[in-house]
Amino acid sequence: MAVSERSTKEGLLSVLDDVEVLSRELIEMLAISRNQKLPQPGEESQILELLVQRDGEFQELMKVAQEQGKVHQEMQLLEKEVEKRDSDIQQLQKQLKEAEHILATAVYQAKEKLKSIEKARKGSISSEEIIKYAHRISASNAVCAPLTWVPGDPRRPYPTDLEMRGGLLGQMSNLPTSGVNGHLPGDALAAGRLPDVLTPQYLWQSSDMSMNMLPPNHSNHFMLEPPGHNKENEDDVEAMSTDSSSSSSDSD
Amino acid sequence: MAGAMESEEQARIRFQLELEFVQCLANPNYLNFLAQRGYLQEKPFVNYLKYLLYWKDPEYAKYLKYPQSLHMLELLQYEHFRKELVNAQCAKFIDEQQLLHWQHYSRKRMRMQQALAEQQQSNAAPK
Repeated sequence: MAVSERSTKEGLLSVLDDVEVLSRELIEMLAISRNQKLPQPGEESQILELLVQRDGEFQELMKVAQEQGKVHQEMQLLEKEVEKRDSDIQQLQKQLKEAEHILATAVYQAKEKLKSIEKARKGSISSEEIIKYAHRISASNAVCAPLTWVPGDPRRPYPTDLEMRGGLLGQMSNLPTSGVNGHLPGDALAAGRLPDVLTPQYLWQSSDMSMNMLPPNHSNHFMLEPPGHNKENEDDVEAMSTDSSSSSSDSD
Repeated sequence: MAGAMESEEQARIRFQLELEFVQCLANPNYLNFLAQRGYLQEKPFVNYLKYLLYWKDPEYAKYLKYPQSLHMLELLQYEHFRKELVNAQCAKFIDEQQLLHWQHYSRKRMRMQQALAEQQQSNAAPK
């Protein structure tokens, strides 16, 4: 009998069955032997032996079962421990996630703050400069009309024709036919025909101030697309994108 | 993609030219002139206008005598505005509005002076 491969429960049950069968036989034999003489005298001792053997097996199997029970209990305890640790880990995980979230928010807000600080710092101008500038632009009647202005006064809030031609730009470009009254700008200045009221007290070309100012570099080819998108035609850009999407869906 | 290296003298001259040009943009008649000759539709010119936006920086803006030119420059970035400038009425309207705005402060000051004078008169009168 390959008892070692069966489970303890099966082993116990089969032993119990054997015991039951053997005890039933014994009792039958005893019952028969009551009525008549023992036909086989060795049989009852055989059965008794088998019974004793089965009992021994039973005891052993019971011991094994007990031990298995202990082991099973330990297993259960350990499982509970494992569950507890699992839930601990999960809670720690949750807390970690929360902490990460809070830190991420804090970092993000700090970055935003830094950005706005940087922006404010960049835009800061000394009040003295602003006042100086305000002085300049109002003294020359560039942003505020002179108090004696009446319609007919040639002064304007923008550079007039004469002023434009009198500047560096006007002198650099050749204006053969479009001079004022047919005269070239150099002539007008040289002939002193510019009325006093038009000679600006403060040159709008500001060559005296800007001796050290340089314009930003640029590629000489304005034909090329500038980086970034143009403000113009935001509607057109959207129309173009829908066109392209429709064409791509066609190709699908 | 920088162009050919220009000498400092050339750069200074270019600064002057761009300073003058950007301020000329405050003149609506000049803008009308440019629009009617089709300059405002040329792509290189539009890109140049976008490049000129550097005058908005305070370190450059302080050289502008006519600050209205910056507003016009910003408006010129929009194609719709550039298209509208072809009409002489548009230029005239802008001119009128500029003049009215220009006179705003002097009118206000005159009103205040008048009000002050009236007040002084009414204070001096009952004696």
